Amino acid sequence: MRSFTARRAATLALALALAGTAAACSSSSSPKQQTASSKQTITFAISGLGSEGTYAEKQVAEFEKANPNITVKVDVDSSSSTTFLQQVGNAFIAGSSTPDLIESDVTYTAKWAAAGYISPVSCSQSAFNASIWATGTYQGKQYSCPWFLNVEGLWYRTDLVPTPPTTPQQVITDAQAAMKKDPSLKEGIAFEGDKYEGAITAFMMLDKAFGGSLNNLSNINTTQNVAALSYLHSLIYQYKIAPTDVVTYQEAQTGTDFASGYAAFSTNWPYVGSLPLAPSVKGHIGYIPFPAASGGQPGVALGGEVLSINAKTQHIAAVNALINFLTSPAQQTARALAVSDAPAVTAAYTPALLASSPVWKQVQTLAPLAAARPVSPNYLNVSNDLQELISAAYANSSTTAAKSAFSQYAGQVASDANASA
Amino acid sequence: MVTITRPGRSVTAGRPAAAGHSKERGDRRLGYILVAPALILLAVVTAYPLVYNLWNSLHYDNLTFATSPKSFNGLHDYNVAINTDGWVSALERTLVFTVVTIVFDVVVALALALMLHRRFRGRGFLRAAVLIPWAVPTVVSAMLWKTMFDPRTGFVDYFLGAIHPAWSNLTWLNISVFRSWAAIFIADSWKNIPFVAIILLAGLQVIPNDVYEAAKIDGAGWWQSFRRITLPMLKPALSVALIFRTLQALLVFDVIFVMTSGGPGTSTETLAYLNFDEFINKTDFGVGGAMSIMLVILALIISAIYVRAFRPQTTR
Repeated sequence: MRSFTARRAATLALALALAGTAAACSSSSSPKQQTASSKQTITFAISGLGSEGTYAEKQVAEFEKANPNITVKVDVDSSSSTTFLQQVGNAFIAGSSTPDLIESDVTYTAKWAAAGYISPVSCSQSAFNASIWATGTYQGKQYSCPWFLNVEGLWYRTDLVPTPPTTPQQVITDAQAAMKKDPSLKEGIAFEGDKYEGAITAFMMLDKAFGGSLNNLSNINTTQNVAALSYLHSLIYQYKIAPTDVVTYQEAQTGTDFASGYAAFSTNWPYVGSLPLAPSVKGHIGYIPFPAASGGQPGVALGGEVLSINAKTQHIAAVNALINFLTSPAQQTARALAVSDAPAVTAAYTPALLASSPVWKQVQTLAPLAAARPVSPNYLNVSNDLQELISAAYANSSTTAAKSAFSQYAGQVASDANASA
Repeated sequence: MVTITRPGRSVTAGRPAAAGHSKERGDRRLGYILVAPALILLAVVTAYPLVYNLWNSLHYDNLTFATSPKSFNGLHDYNVAINTDGWVSALERTLVFTVVTIVFDVVVALALALMLHRRFRGRGFLRAAVLIPWAVPTVVSAMLWKTMFDPRTGFVDYFLGAIHPAWSNLTWLNISVFRSWAAIFIADSWKNIPFVAIILLAGLQVIPNDVYEAAKIDGAGWWQSFRRITLPMLKPALSVALIFRTLQALLVFDVIFVMTSGGPGTSTETLAYLNFDEFINKTDFGVGGAMSIMLVILALIISAIYVRAFRPQTTR
């Protein structure tokens, strides 16, 4: 009896192992695809970003109307990019074929591509802005289609600073003069100094202006990078035109401060122009790249959202149809006008859009120049190191704080950037 | 007819053996059925993740390179975890935070429990009100405290500014290591002191009043009664509160994640925060698993020390 039970158990275990192997083999092969014309439902995961999320649902409704055989289920996930990454990551880890289409931050593409979670896309390179297109290229293949882009620059009050500054030093003197002129100002300049991803894009904007770069992660301890961080540090401790509170500022605080009339300058994204502005600010705002220092270029940093396809989807044709719809020039222009998301498609910068706000002309001009974050499957690890580096520098009032921070963290950044399986 | 009663079972002498065994079997089956849901739940939500984590910690499992085979790694992940930048510092911070917060919380909670144990008007309301911070989810309370420590809009600087103008614009978070920890400590204690206080209050309520009256007749003062009666008889409740609170403090994460994200630099990163970073940002389930297993071992060691220290002493 015992031997029979043992034999039966062994047979069962073998059968399970074979079934498991078969399942594993079948899951590694290409999923069976449905044709574009068949009736089907696809899932589109988006970040729940207020009006942007609502507008995405409106666009999806229009798509469904034009494609009655395709139903799109919109999964509104977290507006926090870290939580969103985790939510979508859980689906990938579970081997789920949904969500079929994923909106994601530009920095996630390489990580998901390296892990085999997303498949190459078929959208046309020539239609898109080259900078944001490059964020989706991994090992020579394109893994994401740009949806909309973002360009971080410098906002300033035209009533307090009549002529836009042309050097970083002039930003300081203009901010000091503005603070003298308008005692209601609480800060000469507001920038993102909290320990989060936004502190990196603010730094990158300055870094470009100082001739620095984060492209070579094996050695970020360069004179230009140190100079850029030292400049931001000096705004707090040496010139005192930024309060120490900036170490807790994210883009929401810098945007609100500027829109409320508390700051003469503010680093931020184009959407600030569409915020409700205080009467003293309305009609008195300008948006420029951060002025270049000697040896630098106009300072702008790139952000944005891209569309990626789940490698296990069974609806590639339908997903591609939705991508083509969302990235069509007409939809891109309409989205920009409705929720101020800068088009990633060059043809969407129509005369009507450019006439609606001077910001769009600036975005169109600056986007190709913007510094993009390094494309690496290890970027999230590197981002963590960079956040620690910047935070450590801002917390130290010494004039050599930036230099010390780069010395301390450069090795860690290199090690994390070069980590491999 | 003699009934012999032992814990958990009852044997009635003189009853036919078969009927007795049958009833005993039935009782046992019923017992298993009643306990089964809890056991299954524990197995699913505790045992399985723990075992899976242990498996992870012994294998290469990095989702950034998910296509690589999940090969057996031995103790390599543990070695990597210990040598991770900042792991030792995070361990030191975690232990210091645990000790400081436990001492403070228990002392304040004991005072609060003693106060709530006395008879006064509105005692019922106050007992309920004291529990409110504990009922607030940690992430929510951390967000509230982050707002209160905001130099421009927060209550803390406003209040301090009323005492001394120079204190009206202190930046608490992410600039000074001391102030960042102070803010975290206040937010964490505000949330957890009520929990300890309620456990201690329950302990106080089971101490018979006769003992205090006898001590009073013998001439014992308040301090002597507290030291010789209250504290020794509160030992079981104190041990429960200490174990729960220590484990909570040892695993502190959410309040730090919300208030400082581990900053300035890495100066408020604890073991649980590093563990989160390894799992979520680096998606390295091998090293992350090793870190959490080490955290579990640390928690078990501390629990064992407590259990031993608070073991009831038998009188021979």
